[in-house]
Amino acid sequence: MNHNEIDTGLLRAYLDGETDAARAAAVSEHLQSCVNCQAEIKSLEANASGIREAFDGLPQTASQLGSAWVALKGRLPQPAGSYRPLWPMRRSWSLAGAGALAAVVALLFTLAPVRAWAQRFLAIFRVEQFTVLELNPDAMKTRGLDNDAFFNQAVSRMISNEVTVTEPPRQPEPVADAGIASKLAGFPVQLLAGERPETLLFRSGISAQMKLDRDRMQSILDEAGRNDIRIPESVDRATIAVHIPAGITALYGNCGDMAQRMQGKGEEKPGEPRNRPDESCISLIELRSPSVTAPRQVDPAEVAQVALQFFGMNASEAASFTQTVDWSTTLVLPVMEGATSYEKIPVNGNDGVLLRPKNGREKSRYSLLWVDRGVVYDLNGTGDDTAARNLAAQLE
Amino acid sequence: MSMAGRWAEAEFEAIFRAHFERMARVARRVLRSDAEAEEVCSEAFLRLYRSGPGALEAGMVGGWLYRTVTRAAIDILRRNRRRGVEEDVDSSAGAAGGSEAEDPMTRVLRAERIAQVRSTLAEMKREKAQMLLLRHSGLSYREVAEAMNLRAASVGTLLARAEAEFGAIYRKRERRGNSEPSAHPFRPLARVGKDGAPP
Repeated sequence: MNHNEIDTGLLRAYLDGETDAARAAAVSEHLQSCVNCQAEIKSLEANASGIREAFDGLPQTASQLGSAWVALKGRLPQPAGSYRPLWPMRRSWSLAGAGALAAVVALLFTLAPVRAWAQRFLAIFRVEQFTVLELNPDAMKTRGLDNDAFFNQAVSRMISNEVTVTEPPRQPEPVADAGIASKLAGFPVQLLAGERPETLLFRSGISAQMKLDRDRMQSILDEAGRNDIRIPESVDRATIAVHIPAGITALYGNCGDMAQRMQGKGEEKPGEPRNRPDESCISLIELRSPSVTAPRQVDPAEVAQVALQFFGMNASEAASFTQTVDWSTTLVLPVMEGATSYEKIPVNGNDGVLLRPKNGREKSRYSLLWVDRGVVYDLNGTGDDTAARNLAAQLE
Repeated sequence: MSMAGRWAEAEFEAIFRAHFERMARVARRVLRSDAEAEEVCSEAFLRLYRSGPGALEAGMVGGWLYRTVTRAAIDILRRNRRRGVEEDVDSSAGAAGGSEAEDPMTRVLRAERIAQVRSTLAEMKREKAQMLLLRHSGLSYREVAEAMNLRAASVGTLLARAEAEFGAIYRKRERRGNSEPSAHPFRPLARVGKDGAPP
């Protein structure tokens, strides 16, 4: 090959083994005798390997194909008429008996912390930690909106008009083992070592979105006599999307008819006693962190501040609590003062929150929540704190 | 792309499964979280879905996806940089070579190196940054050509130019004292002769 036929591009392709065999042989032969080309290829190689090394030091993703597909599927445009309003979805959550976690997830709609981000829509909230907010029942009664029938009806109507479910929930289905559950859920499912769950259920993901109409929300508040709560202008016409990824529920011990009820079977019949779980029942819920997306102009702290006022905080209490929380990663668990006790405890190297009813026959039941590598865990059982922690340590 | 028909779910899922993981790996190199990388990829797939199966010629889907995702990822990188967040320490424990057990100094140096590489890419022309990102994430010349709408025979020349420009900007940034040269794994970049100089 003539020197003039060899250019930088050919040498670069030769270095990468991206030329055909005949050209590679010709370049190789030419390099034996051409000092200039030898110098150039050496320089190209030094540059390329330096860059390759630098790029190899860049972060790598742990994205999971399975869960990413499930998440995307939920966002694909559906044929007209396939949307369902939110309320049936919420009912199916409670049927699913997902306990604390279902309640927590439902609260995402009101306590959704969202953060402005560079792109128009990006995942901006993922649960990485929990914090507990103790609500005062008296303040809630006088200042909160929970018991306001007019407000609740108006909000229900608005939600059923404005919320579209893009990925409706399906009935949970039994799966054979952790391997299959992991494949379906898109993350490595952990179960109690040495114990075989009585029931292992897979629950599909849920996605919904809502376009916010600030004026309408404000007028509902004003009519409810709460013009002290101001909906931030930044939320107007914003589309907020919530995605609750697929997950699993494992039941151990005698959990009565819980599994049937979760699958929408075994409806309670009047006069017939319910087959209730006993003290041996342990339920374990796992799912990848739910996420909320919103347009960049929406300020999570502003939204949180309004949501806190719904629970009976006054504006200045709400403002000061708002400052203590990283709203892009923290899910706030509201608990009623005097009704629920809570404490922070370490769980397998993560910060967990242990919730427990203070009174009544359920007071020996606990709910232990924590987040580990992007997966939210909710372990429910009967016993003391050590029992809860020991059980969590058995997960593998 | 224009709307053309409707995807069969199985076909669309097969495309997703064939490309998503590698696309997310490429995007994650310049974005600050897995979530951000996944979102950029999802947006590309949503656009593809909305456009319908007839919008692209057979065999062009992969190239379009990589072009779209690298363009979006680099735009976000540049926007972050303009907003002054480019030096953000990447919190990922999944960064190559990183582990939760590594000492704080190593972690800081690694974060600095990541920031330096990303800032250099952000300073380059978008097409050149895309070219480097694609090739140094393991795409073949044919795949790079499809993604960049080029002839495969041009990839070598353009790649060498992009690498030369990357090296020049990187060294300039080092001279400005934006990083600790001795701690850097990036060997001094050699000058490129002949037509390899930045255009």
